[in-house]
Amino acid sequence: MPHIEIDGQSIEVVPGTTIMEAAQALGIYIPFFCYHPKLSVAANCRMCLVDVEKAPKPLPACATPVADGMKVATASRKAKMAQQGVLEFLLINHPLDCPVCDQGGECPLQDITMGFANPHSQYAEEKRVVQDPNIGPLIATEMTRCIQCTRCVRFGQEIGGIMELGATGRGEHMAIGTYVAKAVQSELSGNMIDLCPVGALTSKPFRFKARSWELKHTPGLCPHCSTGCNTDVQSLGREVLRVLPRANQAVNEEWICDKGRYAYTGLQAEDRVTRPLLRVDGVWREASWAEALDVALSGLEQVIARHGAERLAGLISAQSGNEELFLFQALLRGMGSPHVDHRLRQQDFRADAAMPVYPALNMALEDLEREPLILLCHAFPRQQQPLTNHRLRKSVLQGGKVIAIDSLRQDFNYPVTQLVAEAGADLALYAALCSHLSGHAGKTGVESLADVASDLLAADNPLILIGSALLHHPQAAAMIAQIESLAGLAGARVGWLAQDANSAGAWLSGCVPHRLPGGHRAQTIGLPADALWDADMRGFILLGTEPGVDAMRGVAALAALQKAEFVLSIAQFAGEAKQYADVILPMAAFAEGAGSFINNEGRLQTFRAAVKTPEEARPAWKILRVLGDGLNLPGFQFNELSEVTATWQREIGEYALDVPPFRTFPVLEPVPVSPHADDGLRRLGDWPLFRGDPLVRRAIPLTQPAVVKMHPDQVRALALQGDFVEISTSGGKVCLPLVADAGIPMGTVWVPMGYAETAILGAAYAACSVSTATPPATATGT
Amino acid sequence: MLSEKSLAEIARERAKYPADQARSVLLAALRIAQEEQGYLSDAVMEYIAGLLGIPAIQVYEAATFYSMYDLQPVGRHKLCVCGSVSCFLNGSDAVLQHLSERLGVSPGETTADGLFTLQEVECLGACKDAPMLQVGDHYYENLTQESLDALLAKLRGESDDVR
Repeated sequence: MPHIEIDGQSIEVVPGTTIMEAAQALGIYIPFFCYHPKLSVAANCRMCLVDVEKAPKPLPACATPVADGMKVATASRKAKMAQQGVLEFLLINHPLDCPVCDQGGECPLQDITMGFANPHSQYAEEKRVVQDPNIGPLIATEMTRCIQCTRCVRFGQEIGGIMELGATGRGEHMAIGTYVAKAVQSELSGNMIDLCPVGALTSKPFRFKARSWELKHTPGLCPHCSTGCNTDVQSLGREVLRVLPRANQAVNEEWICDKGRYAYTGLQAEDRVTRPLLRVDGVWREASWAEALDVALSGLEQVIARHGAERLAGLISAQSGNEELFLFQALLRGMGSPHVDHRLRQQDFRADAAMPVYPALNMALEDLEREPLILLCHAFPRQQQPLTNHRLRKSVLQGGKVIAIDSLRQDFNYPVTQLVAEAGADLALYAALCSHLSGHAGKTGVESLADVASDLLAADNPLILIGSALLHHPQAAAMIAQIESLAGLAGARVGWLAQDANSAGAWLSGCVPHRLPGGHRAQTIGLPADALWDADMRGFILLGTEPGVDAMRGVAALAALQKAEFVLSIAQFAGEAKQYADVILPMAAFAEGAGSFINNEGRLQTFRAAVKTPEEARPAWKILRVLGDGLNLPGFQFNELSEVTATWQREIGEYALDVPPFRTFPVLEPVPVSPHADDGLRRLGDWPLFRGDPLVRRAIPLTQPAVVKMHPDQVRALALQGDFVEISTSGGKVCLPLVADAGIPMGTVWVPMGYAETAILGAAYAACSVSTATPPATATGT
Repeated sequence: MLSEKSLAEIARERAKYPADQARSVLLAALRIAQEEQGYLSDAVMEYIAGLLGIPAIQVYEAATFYSMYDLQPVGRHKLCVCGSVSCFLNGSDAVLQHLSERLGVSPGETTADGLFTLQEVECLGACKDAPMLQVGDHYYENLTQESLDALLAKLRGESDDVR
């Protein structure tokens, strides 16, 4: 192994190590701008020039592999002259606008200039000016400050998987941009801000809000998907001003997606509730906690007294912490109601008994990178779990293969073999693959099925990942049963891609109608979420959820909630709750409370409050505790969160990180997909990246309007004219802009869920029809 | 977007490179497109990106780097005046200034009659006979005001012949 000496300290390193890496191992600092351990080596900023013995010129430490016996000086006269020269060149065109630059105070160029530059410049001519492209609502550009390190360009190419920024022009005209004006589309785009070593790319929502040294840093956890990215929540006073990634190589490495980065802007939404609200004679008014709790408790008691506890149901968001999930089900079950659930988007619950203790990936996120063959079943992690998707992308870049089965062709950012079901034939596609695997294949419409089957059979122990969207299908249970036999035939392991930040915690804490904390079977099995809408429920408790847009059948949910005698909504935002609730209790939102989540791997992670709750809002666990106490339920006498955590831990016991993916399967009665007319279409739809929860829906920089997507041939076949179409289902109709997309199969129409205007259409995979329409878009019920 | 002939030429270039190195064909594809259309519009660059299966920004990067590619329509004769070191030291600024005055346009502009486009370019490798310029496939070297005037007259004459 090469043995080298840097600044008189010697070290032995593996061949291929660069001088930069060896110096970092020794704790010797070499300044740099373009070098980044996660990106390819560009060596174009020249800041890391070092003096290597016997080399005639200084060499870039980031791009020079060590050789045995090399003697490197990082602070010799030659090295210092090189550093000063490079900085003088870099500063020729860099504006002296640090006082008005958002990067000031956390700027490598500023710091390195202070540390390494010659204070005098020989340059007295004019500096160049570069036009600022508008690259969307998330990233502010000030390209005159750019030093062309190309970290952002390499990030797009190598990490984001779509190259959107590039270096156009030449020499002093070289500029970073998109060339053709457009907003960057990558779901990881915000990381380019962190990578930019100057103030060329800064956060638009954070712009001019604060100086970096004024901010308080609190280690946080991203509440938006099951990857469980570690974040650094930065606040000033009572306001969260930005969210940055906190490096954890085992989870999110050093990235977060744009949802995790910008959803905090939703905290400032106008409908944030900060005081208890009561509806009195149809009019909403603020109330004291004492009064609101009295009304809440007597409302619940009346429902139970008049109709029995089995007419009361509770729905909770799986973004809630373990402590809250645990107390929530304890409250409902303590009152005698078995109806507690968090799975608002699911339609088919026949597989409930067969579900694992919690939706576990059954492996470490890091190990996904080394999987040679992965079969994705109705999973599009690029939208649903962006940084889990990054691991899959890495496996493909390292020679792995990913195959996806889905209802539509998805826009992956790495090569994927995609098997797309014909309209409504999702289950049949899984069944056909099973017959291919067992060698009983008949003639099928999908030619590549045989190839996929042979890939699966040839692979040694391939990995099947079940997507969170698979559970939204009306035949989810039958599809899961097919996947179970598929796994058996292919000798494959199975993992689940969980949907929400704490889906795992919701299952383990007993927020499903058929299981108690720890996954124990419930004595009385309640109704799952979707069945509650038709079950004549008289009372509801909601926590952190908006069934009107979060539930698969939003309009049915709203009708059931409006019909109920008493609805208690514990929420961050009033929103739709004002249509049906009787009491709204204000709870702590993101960054305002403490707790713990269990991510997709089964990793238990905790977070602390970064800011105080606004005005009268309280952490949800305290609200639940007071309600439980007020109803004289046993086991609610907690004073500290840590006491709840301890009880929760005792109740759920030890849980495995590697759980059997299925329990014993019941025999399933086939459920026919709802029939549709001969000329009818099937409506596809799921919750897009930025529509999945109340907070991100209120994040203005992330707002994207709802659009309808159809295959261009389908648009022609239906002779649709103009930019707008009207979609009708048995639930109602809505007028939306039309986008032609060749990834949508013939016979289907894609309309996103998670929008108030599309909720009228009802559940996904239902029959629908489409006609030409004229704007403005308005939704009408039938 | 492009003619059958151009597409066939691009396909011939494509076959020279390994299947996974489509980006290598880019320079040739841009040249072929420019020969057909006179200049490279945003639309044709995006089309080439799709044709080769590479990100559009990589096409823009290459097209904006080389002065041989025109991103706007140009005149019948493109006067490419070298402004790199040897030519600069031998008076390329004076060459540019003289042509600007004679044609009534600044570098980067095209005359109103559509005959000439004036452009400053990087080194064309004719340093021993600096200052120089390129028109079409021809180099004109050791330029003086007189030789420039003669060149302009000759090019105007050729244009008349064509008409």
